[in-house]
Parts: sequence; C-alpha cells; structure tokens
Amino acid sequence: MNADAPAVHAFGLSRSFGTNRAVDGVDLTIPEGTIFGLLGPDGAGKSTLIRMLATVLAPDTGDAMIFGNSVTRAPDQVTPWIGYMSQNFSMYPDLSVAENLNFFATLRGVGREERGRRASRLMSAMGLAEFADRRARTLSGGMKQKLMLAATLMHQPDVLLLDEPTTGVDPVSRREFWRILAALHRDGKTVLVATPYMDEAERCTHLAFLSGGRISREGSPAEIKKVVPGTLFELATLHPRAVLAELAGTPDVLSAHLYGDVVRVLWTGDGRAERELTSRLVAANLPVTAIRPARVDMEAAFAYLTESERIREVTRP
Amino acid sequence: MKAALARVGAVAGKEVKHLLRDPRILAIVLILPVVQLLLFAYAISFDVKNVPTVVLDQDNTPASRHYVQTYRSSEFFDVLGSADDLAQVDRLFDQNRVRIAVIVPSGFARSIDAGEKAQVAVLTDGSEPNSAQLARAYATALNATYGQQVLIEWADRQGLNPARAGSIEPRLRTWYNPEGRSSNFLIPGLMVVIIMIVTVQQTAVTLVREREQGTAEQMTVSPLRRGELMVGKLLPWTLLAFADMLVIAVISIWVFGLPLRGSAGFLAVSSVVFVFAALGLGLIISAVAPSLETANISGLLIAFLPAFLLSGFAFPLDSIPVPLQWLSYAFPGRYMVAITRGVFLKGAGFPELWPQLAALAGYALVVLLASSVLYRRRST
Repeated sequence: MNADAPAVHAFGLSRSFGTNRAVDGVDLTIPEGTIFGLLGPDGAGKSTLIRMLATVLAPDTGDAMIFGNSVTRAPDQVTPWIGYMSQNFSMYPDLSVAENLNFFATLRGVGREERGRRASRLMSAMGLAEFADRRARTLSGGMKQKLMLAATLMHQPDVLLLDEPTTGVDPVSRREFWRILAALHRDGKTVLVATPYMDEAERCTHLAFLSGGRISREGSPAEIKKVVPGTLFELATLHPRAVLAELAGTPDVLSAHLYGDVVRVLWTGDGRAERELTSRLVAANLPVTAIRPARVDMEAAFAYLTESERIREVTRP
Repeated sequence: MKAALARVGAVAGKEVKHLLRDPRILAIVLILPVVQLLLFAYAISFDVKNVPTVVLDQDNTPASRHYVQTYRSSEFFDVLGSADDLAQVDRLFDQNRVRIAVIVPSGFARSIDAGEKAQVAVLTDGSEPNSAQLARAYATALNATYGQQVLIEWADRQGLNPARAGSIEPRLRTWYNPEGRSSNFLIPGLMVVIIMIVTVQQTAVTLVREREQGTAEQMTVSPLRRGELMVGKLLPWTLLAFADMLVIAVISIWVFGLPLRGSAGFLAVSSVVFVFAALGLGLIISAVAPSLETANISGLLIAFLPAFLLSGFAFPLDSIPVPLQWLSYAFPGRYMVAITRGVFLKGAGFPELWPQLAALAGYALVVLLASSVLYRRRST
C-alpha cells in the first residue's frame, strides 16, 4: 500500500458495450476516509464505473488505482483492499446467512476462527443474528442487502464499492443501512456508493454527478447545491402534471419538476416570481392554491443537473 | 498451497450443500440412471427371436412338410400359419403381420429325390433391415443344415459314403459373447451413455447459474483462481457420478447377468477419470453458454448424441463415415466404451487398455484447462 496514494484514483477510464459508451473518459479521485456518492440518472454509467473499479470488468482504455495498485495490471493486489457489493442480490439463495458469510470469507482467505468471530459480530451489529440459519432466499429485501454488506465486510476491506445498495429497500431499512455506513466512515473506511436517492446523497461527504458516462460535476453536497442558479419555488395545485407541462420551457423557468404533489420551479427571473407564475397559470386556467420559496436541496440540484445535462446533450453540435 | 486447498474445499462444500438442498437434482442424479438403465436395457435389443413367419407350401408332400417343420421348431421363427397363395403372403406383409415368408414350390420333393438342388424362396421384409438381415442369416444357416442332412440321406440311399467326399466345413465361433446376447454388447456402452447424460448436463448449468446469481462477480473479487473453482465444482460431482457408475455396474451384473471378466480396480480408476472428463465437458458448455436454457439444451445434445452415435455404443466406430470417426475422438465416450467392453466382456485390464485410460486422462486435463480459459474470456 502506498501511504500517500488516494483510496481510489481513476484516469481516462472508458468502457463501451457495442456502440454505447457506458463510461467515457472518467477521471476520479476519492480521498481516503470519505463517503463518496455517485449520482446520476439510470444508464449514466454508475454500475459500469464501479464494476471497473472492482476489477470485475476490464476497461477499454484508462486505468484506476486502489491505494496505488492498478486494477488492470495488478488486480490481485487490488482485491484484498476492496469490498464490492453489486446492484443485484449476489448471494446463494439456497445457503443460509451464516453459510454465505462463511463461504465468501473462506474464499477471501479469512481463517476459520476469525470467520466465526467476525460473522457473529457482523450479524449481531446488523440485526441478522436471529436469521443466521435462514436460507438467503427467504430474507426480506432489506435483510438481503444487509447480508450482502456483511459478506462484503468479512475480510475487513478498506474501500467499499457499493452499487445502489439500498435500491428497492424500505425507508426504515435504508436508514439502518446508512447507520452502518456511518459507523464504517467513523472507522476510517472509504465508501464509494452509487445511489438514486437524494436524501442519501446529502449524507455523503463528497459527490460526483455522472451523466452520459462522464462526470459533469463534483464537490461536497453544499458545493453541488450552490451551482443551482435562481430561486426555487414550490407550487401547490390540484393539477400538478398540467402545471408542469404548462410551465416547462417558458421564459425565466430554468427547470420544473414534480416533487411529491407539488411542482418545483427554478426561477431565474426578477423578484416578482409569485405574481408572474400565478398569472401565467391563471391564463391557462390552472389555479394555484399556494406558492412559496423553498431551500435548494439535493433533489432540486439533481433535477437541475439532469435537465441541464440533457439540454447540453441535445444542443451539442 | 494451503490457502488454495481451503478455497477448493469451500467451493466443493458449497456444491454439496446445493446438491443436498435440491431434491430434484438428487433424484435426477440418483434415480434417473437406474431408470434409464432398466428402460434402455429392456427396450433396446438387437436380438432377433420369434420373427412372425408365414409358410406357403405349394408342394405339400411329406418332404416339404418335414422341411417346414424345421422352421416351426426353431425359436427364431414364429410360424403363424400357412398361406393359400402368394397374394395372401403379400397382404400379410402389407398388414405388418409377418416379416418372413417361406415358400416351398411344387416339385420340391421330386427334386430332392432326384438328387437335384431343390429351390426354396425365403422372403424377408426389408423395411426392418436389422431383423431382416438376421432372419436371412438364420434361414440360410437352417437351410444349410437341412441341405446337409438331405445330402447324407441321399448318399446313404445311393450306398455312398458321404464322409469320403472332400468338403470344407467352416466352424464359426463368436468369442467373448458366444450366445450373441445383445444385452452383453449393449450394457457396457449404455453405462457410458447414461453417465454422460447425467453428468454433462449438471455441470453445464453450474457456471451459468453463478453468473446469473451474481455470485460469479463476488468470486472474481476474491483470490479464487478459475482452475480452483473448476476443480472444486467437479469434485463432489465426480464422487456422485462414480457412485452412479457403481450402481449401474452392480445392477448390470445382478439383474442382466453381465459378466465382469476383467480388472474391477482398473474399471474403477477409469470410471473416475471418465466422469471427471465428462463433467469437464459440461463445464466448457457452462463457460460459454449465454443462458441457463442454452446451457441445458446444449448439455443434453452434446451429452446425448455423441454418446449414442459416436461412442461405439450403438454402431461400430469403423462403420461410420470417416469425418464422424475423427469427430468421435473429441468426445470421451469412445474411450470409455472401449474400456467397459474390454473389462466386462474380454477380461482386459491395464496392460491392454492403458492407451484409452491415458487418452481419457489427457482429455480431462484439456477440458479443464479449456473451461478455465473460456470462462475468463466470457467474464471480462
């Protein structure tokens, strides 16, 4: 291990599938001890990027270093450092929780006694202890994800590569999962996590926004939110979809998207936004019950970034 | 080295758990071979016995009736009755009621008495070439014996000593299987076919399943070598397939009276190497197949067809077209059929059959390496 090397350092990393450039020249540096969130819409290349960092997929060009070890030239030096959790459930459904943990830890070279100790510690820390003998097939979604995380942690890796670990998991289990990640963060582990959830993005120390296979924006959550121009307004209405359709693309409206039942509008015009928006909607016979300014959060930033990237793609010569 | 053994052990142990927890696979592996053996051994028979036969005796003399009687008393022919004319013989053939017709023309007795060659017509149904050919051979043999007898009687009557007439008499003997029982010939080959069917298909799906479950990726990020994975996967199956082989052999000996004349130890060693090779062939399919369905079907085809057609099980290998003969070297069946027939029927062992064993061992090594290489290609 190179003490000065960052946990992850990727340069010019690219990978195509057929004609589709899934990851297109990604440069990325992840300092040790961070929780690094990878954001981006579906198909942005998050999984492909993570799989290349995990040595599971070979890049077409470029390379990545994990603590100074190349994923292409020395994958055997990389794998002891990393724990990789794929997006889909990747444990044996017919083996029990304890058997799965034991099997993958044996492959990783963890000794018999140590395996037992770590498995019982991880299972009790994650609330899996009472399910130790349950077949993995019969676990709930949240339990399955925790089992995968536990299997990833059995050989005590320093870098965790987690591909949408909480997708399809109920909110309580998600919160619990993130409590575990926070504990790992306190222990000094480096976590790279791809997530579609903006509340999770808020909990990361660093974020990168991936779009069309490229990193378009990078920074802390506060920095990312700061790039969003204008003022955010929330419109309450009985016809949110009609309002959205009416406002999208009109002057001074940078982006408009649904947020639950309300329509969120990013306004770049002058200070009379409330009056202007209301009059436009009244003209379209769409009454608004309430309109108020809102704080820019990750959700709004994500919507803005996705939108502006899409516009840039479309208008690219 | 110790770490590698631990990894191989972990994979093998996990495979055993998969097996024990899937009753369908257990049933396929433990019961299916026995069912197949019983079905095939009873159903596939090249023995020709009791061929339905009709007789048309146009001579109707004591001599002709005596001649026809020889057919009635033979167990190869089942004389169902006499026909009145040729048209009726034709009808019986058309209706599939008979396969053989024996026609004794009028003048048969007169010719014999005159010491001339008597003519007899034996018609066989060529739409079943196998039984037709054998029936013809039996009829020829029967006629030759009968003719001999007629000759002796005639010479006797003429006051000649037929023994003084010089003639060549061929004495044909079939070694190793003197009664010509087709079960003796078939069952040693059948063992090979059944083991191929059971083993190839099981390993054909195993790597595909790892890929579909995502567990293959988790193995990639571990120090597990592909060769270790392959060996770990093959070990439990080798044991199980060997047990199958043992059960089949015991049933064959006890139920079908198959003689075991050669070295049982050599047979056991060869069986282990053979099942390892067959399982390795399945792994190759598994390494390249894109889906479980493809793996299943190609496993069945590759196990079944070559084992049946290119192993010497059903057709002698030197009677198939030359390109297919070359192709037959690419499947483990032909080596093992030579070994099982050699050991069971000819009493052979290592001194005679070591080239086949060496070929199987080489084969096992090649498929193992090939599956490792192909699996790596596929996974990145």
